[in-house]
Amino acid sequence: MTSDPTMTITGARQRQERFTVLQKWVSRALAGNLSCLIVPGPEVALSHGLDVTAAGMRITATPRDASVLLIIGELSEKMNEAVAVLYAQMPRPRAIVNLGGQTPSTLPDADFSAGVSQAGLIDAVDWLKRALAKGAFSDSPEDFDAPVLHARIEYVCPMHPEVVQNEPGSCPKCGMDLVAREAGEPAPEHDHGHDHREHRHHEHEHQHHDHAQQHEHHEHEHHHGHCHDHHDSHEHDHEQHEGHQHSHENHHDHGHKHQHGESDGDAEEKGSGHDHSGHHHSGHGHDSHEHGGHDHVGHGHSGHDHSGHDHGGHDHGGHDHGGHDHGASGFMSMIEVTKDLPRSADGLAMDWMEVPFGPVFPGLPGGLKLTLTLDGDGVTEGQATSLVGMINESEEGKEIGAETFIERLASAMPLASVSYRLLACLAIERAAGLENDSATDQARAVALECERIASHLGWLAQTGRQLGFAWLTDRAATLQLEIRRASGKRLLELTPALHALAARLGRTPLLKSRLKGIGILPSGTGGLSGPVARAADDAGDAWARLWQRLDEIITSLDYIKATGEPGLPVLRNIGRGSGTGEATVETPRGEAQLSLILEHGQVKSYRLDTACSHHIGLVAKLVEGRELGDALVAVGSLDLSPWEVIS
Amino acid sequence: MNFVIVLVALLGSVWLLAVVEGWTTTGRLRPAAPLLSGLAHLGRESIVPRTPDRVFFETAPVLLLIVAVLGAAVLPLAPTLVIADLATGALFINAALAYVLVALIMAGWGPNGAYAMIGGWRFLGQLIAYAMLIVMPITAVAMRAESLVTTVIVGSQDGLWNIVYQPLGFVLFFIAAMALAFRAPFDLPTAPGELGGGVDAEYTGVRLGVLRLARLTLVITLASATTVFYLGGWHGPLLPPWAWSLIKTLAVAVSMLLAGRYLPRIREADLMRWCWTLGIPLALLNIIVVGLLVLVVP
Repeated sequence: MTSDPTMTITGARQRQERFTVLQKWVSRALAGNLSCLIVPGPEVALSHGLDVTAAGMRITATPRDASVLLIIGELSEKMNEAVAVLYAQMPRPRAIVNLGGQTPSTLPDADFSAGVSQAGLIDAVDWLKRALAKGAFSDSPEDFDAPVLHARIEYVCPMHPEVVQNEPGSCPKCGMDLVAREAGEPAPEHDHGHDHREHRHHEHEHQHHDHAQQHEHHEHEHHHGHCHDHHDSHEHDHEQHEGHQHSHENHHDHGHKHQHGESDGDAEEKGSGHDHSGHHHSGHGHDSHEHGGHDHVGHGHSGHDHSGHDHGGHDHGGHDHGGHDHGASGFMSMIEVTKDLPRSADGLAMDWMEVPFGPVFPGLPGGLKLTLTLDGDGVTEGQATSLVGMINESEEGKEIGAETFIERLASAMPLASVSYRLLACLAIERAAGLENDSATDQARAVALECERIASHLGWLAQTGRQLGFAWLTDRAATLQLEIRRASGKRLLELTPALHALAARLGRTPLLKSRLKGIGILPSGTGGLSGPVARAADDAGDAWARLWQRLDEIITSLDYIKATGEPGLPVLRNIGRGSGTGEATVETPRGEAQLSLILEHGQVKSYRLDTACSHHIGLVAKLVEGRELGDALVAVGSLDLSPWEVIS
Repeated sequence: MNFVIVLVALLGSVWLLAVVEGWTTTGRLRPAAPLLSGLAHLGRESIVPRTPDRVFFETAPVLLLIVAVLGAAVLPLAPTLVIADLATGALFINAALAYVLVALIMAGWGPNGAYAMIGGWRFLGQLIAYAMLIVMPITAVAMRAESLVTTVIVGSQDGLWNIVYQPLGFVLFFIAAMALAFRAPFDLPTAPGELGGGVDAEYTGVRLGVLRLARLTLVITLASATTVFYLGGWHGPLLPPWAWSLIKTLAVAVSMLLAGRYLPRIREADLMRWCWTLGIPLALLNIIVVGLLVLVVP
């Protein structure tokens, strides 16, 4: 637990002399209005039994609306980067609370740290209230900067992709001026190839035309670069997109240095970064945002940073350069602008843009990053990746103690820790040659069913968040917390409440029309398991999956009623046994299989296979050609746990 | 004078609505919460995103607020308590509310972000769905009153409120008003679970405060319009007229608020389909029925 003697939070806002009296009141108001963005996500908080609302914080959907960044558990390297971007988007004063993990290296030290427990959370809220009342404003707030917010710009010849250098100049082969791009970004040529393949409507001439244009624009850019580039000519903000669009605003982080105090001391996002937006070089120019209208000039080149309207990837995209390229004199004609664009399913030509959803997004489980290529409100293609998934490591000679292995596996799967604890116990016990013990098996099975109920309720809460169905979110979350805390007997007392929940959902208007027919998998899709597979026998849509999960809740309850008290899986005495063991557990999301080699009580190597690892591959098929809302519902209905995606 | 009274009533209603909203979401009744929350917005940084369309970005929240207040200007709290008793009041409110769309598209376009932009355009689609269902029921209301003057419309409901006289029109108008106020389940432009806040997504600090105030004001204005057009405005026993207006307005506003809590967000395609294939024929039917009633019943 850290406690700062001066009670100033690291994300304090610049104090302004004029408002000293008002700031006292404002500070108190801030202390009374804690809103938090939970990383990785509210579902992880719930599965740890944390009731954030009861502790006195409002859960927000966006970093823009959050004053507290609540980090739960250990994060992966990729998540650390995403979190830095999110933190940068939060308006000051902002604080970081860390429960049960290390503060990500990309962030300043947490203002408050504690273990993962409700008591820790309540302490954190108490501390935050006091700290914000006293230290929301500071005379010298700290800067926040992280490497992930920057990208190196390199210069490449438009005609000779192999010519890449760190400084602007001309190509040694053809003498053309080099074009700026972010390091690590695919070359424009590649993109064109891609475009060409994907969207047959592109004509070659058009591309050439575009190239020429880009070239011109970039020349223009270079000038800008030289003019404004007084800070760091090769370091630019790098559009990161994690979670939110304009992710990163160094802006306010260099904030007070550059704040030109326009009227109300607004924090201005320095115009750097937007890569293609032509004016990245004017990063610290005082009126970079004023360039608005002209910014997009150069956007064409920049392969994959399609932030905002800048749809880089599909370079020809139009409303931006429309004005420049076509209707130079006056009104832009949409027909002109869109005539060379690919047509989408509905026959309309629109700008395509690649938009990231996640890894911290209210409609999706935390840690899951869904990248959708949107044309208007329709999804043309999509892809999901997990930023928190486990890696099958079976390096030679790296042995882990059996107990440690179990703990590690359980904590790596926060959404289904009991299932994986059980899986590890079973595999190790089999490897050690232990016989099954029916009493233990029974208690374990009950614990597994309890977790299934809790997990399905967690999914319902998540679905409620996605659908803006506040009642469902609250109700399911409350029940999930109760079930986590309940013993066998209390569990059975919750039976009527669970039946009532199912009945209520059956009667809810709009719900069926929202889910019916969404997320149908092509027949014969292999690799399904768990509720998704069982619902496939029915209609195989999101509505069927909802009812499959509701039915499973009831079935599990009946099983618990018939069987008895749950007993958390604990490893039986395996001595220093050796051997190979394999176990399969039907987790709430489907079958998980673990095989491992045990040597003298140490896990020598293991191999884990989970349902989510297969299900995540279905996303592309589910979202293609769907409307955005439907696509998200389809992905949500799979109940993907990014933690259980093994790579 | 009327201006000040109506404005105070509007603000008071917004405050009450915010208290109720807090109550339904947190379960605690905290009368000071909306004020504190407003103060907290003042304390937070108000970030301007990179390369915004500055004019749109800055104007949108203010425009939305102005639109909501303009709409309220023609709605009477009592026979004489109205800011502008226009001869074309019922038309004027339509005209004012048309700018909600403009404000949202500006808010979507301004910050230069994908979520916001999609949210803004989504509202354009939503307009195509709800717009006729605002205008057509009002037409039937004006037919009965034989006037577009809002005070006359309330007067025409003496004895028999429009909710009884033309229940179909009321249902259609109520739903369309919710869609226009983009409250859940019609919150497609903001859609936290789909667009991470949509048009709200890039606003922080004071600007977000103004935007939220504007959204609540819009709900009150539309609830007040529902009261004036269908619930007999100031008519009611015992209490003074203004009190009845306020009570009815708040009741409508709270029911709009609560409906969203118990429903999932509507699908965009469903909204469009139902409004056009079901809503518009029903609205026409409503006009015909009201027309017949007006002609036949003395």
